[in-house]
Amino acid sequence: MTPAGPGALRLERLWEQRPLKRSYDVIIIGGGIHGLATAYYLAKEHGIRDVAVLERQYIGFGGSGRNTAIVRANQRTQENVRLYDEGLKLWPILTDELDYNLMFFNCGNLNLAHSEAAVNAFRLSVNTANFNHVESELLDAQSCKELIPILDVSDKPKYPIQAGMYHPPGGVLRHDAVVWGLAKGAAEHGVDIHQGVEVQGIDVQGAKVTGVRTNHGPIECAKLGVMAGGYGAEVCAMLDLELPVHPLTIQAMVTQPLKPFLHHVVSSGAYHVYANQTLKGEIATGAHMDPQVNYTTDATAHYFKHQAEALTDFMPALKGARFLRIWAGLADMTPDMAPILDGNVGFDGLYLDLGWGYFGFKSGPVAGKYMAEFIARETCPEILEPFALDRFLENRYMGETATTMKYGHWD
Amino acid sequence: MTFRLTCPVCGARDVYEFRYGGPERGMRPAQEDLSPEEHFRWTQFRTTRPAPQEEWWYHAAGCGVWFSTWRNPATNREEGPAT
Repeated sequence: MTPAGPGALRLERLWEQRPLKRSYDVIIIGGGIHGLATAYYLAKEHGIRDVAVLERQYIGFGGSGRNTAIVRANQRTQENVRLYDEGLKLWPILTDELDYNLMFFNCGNLNLAHSEAAVNAFRLSVNTANFNHVESELLDAQSCKELIPILDVSDKPKYPIQAGMYHPPGGVLRHDAVVWGLAKGAAEHGVDIHQGVEVQGIDVQGAKVTGVRTNHGPIECAKLGVMAGGYGAEVCAMLDLELPVHPLTIQAMVTQPLKPFLHHVVSSGAYHVYANQTLKGEIATGAHMDPQVNYTTDATAHYFKHQAEALTDFMPALKGARFLRIWAGLADMTPDMAPILDGNVGFDGLYLDLGWGYFGFKSGPVAGKYMAEFIARETCPEILEPFALDRFLENRYMGETATTMKYGHWD
Repeated sequence: MTFRLTCPVCGARDVYEFRYGGPERGMRPAQEDLSPEEHFRWTQFRTTRPAPQEEWWYHAAGCGVWFSTWRNPATNREEGPAT
């Protein structure tokens, strides 16, 4: 069904599939945005091209293809803000570098506060953001309504809207495009991407990682990156490596396509809901996490009901809109909601980039950039130092939880 | 798809009636001279394996009992320990 003639659809593979070798300098487990970005920067910035990305399913199968594609840099702690701010600024740069349309739409994020405590938490976040030169401001309820006219700012909702935290530089992307663009870019710089290759064991000699065992046989490597998102802890369990990472299912869904009326990302901690209108017109919305640790991607009717009730309570115009699809992905939560970025953990040559929870999408390229530097130079870049695993043992939690509600059995 | 847990009092009930209480971690270490590292190791330092684990649940929307049961995080189903 390929149309012929001028302007005909060109069917080209995004990258060249090369044969799986028996040995690589660097193997990265996980073909999501973190793994692909790390491989891309290893090859492009550090000249390390003998790199394989091993993906058990297909690239973007996990969190990279299941998130709600929202990006922002108005986190609570300075260490995080610095990282996410650079990550936010990378999207337009990457769009050029990769020569691939990532569909970055910096529509801005509006986070709603429904209590005095939440307003105070926003004040802290806004000041943290502004101190770090990140655009963020506190809006009163009426100004929120000017941004999003369908908001009900009366006292009718169960949790009336008190104020909003508006973060203009945030927005949304197309997450599949990010995966495909990074895969294309990595492969152009010489990286091998192997889909359907499942790591079933990790080989070590003494205290050094020497390779992996896969469903396609053993493969040697000098350095190994575990960047498998929610499945990262499962990979580390092969090494009997203990990690404070709790994989939790998080569900998201979309409504039928509607005319454009929601021009910003809107979120609410009290209602446990965030939503944006996609370019197709669907309202894409994400829910709270299921509470029990698990590795499934089961979706449940419970969250259809929850999201419908929450969204229509403060945006009553959405009543009657129908949900079309629901899906779920894994969020690998840590006790302080900040990731674990570390090298030589337990074994020489073992690099970890995991524990992102539900912040893994927005951080993908910037984490890849600095993890590549870490792997290439074998010293931790300064910006990643706060995210070492040891912080937990030394009782130095990141404090990101100050803005959040209950996130599981550790609170 | 949702699943059901077996409350020792009420029987099999929808999982959303319960609150998850985390895996069984053994006895809390003695409070005296407890270092942050030891406390952290006891509370958090534990990789979730895709295999049956013993864990605590609270029947919040039911009878209010705390109980422990075995569940497999790989499947979300109650499943006893591998023998």
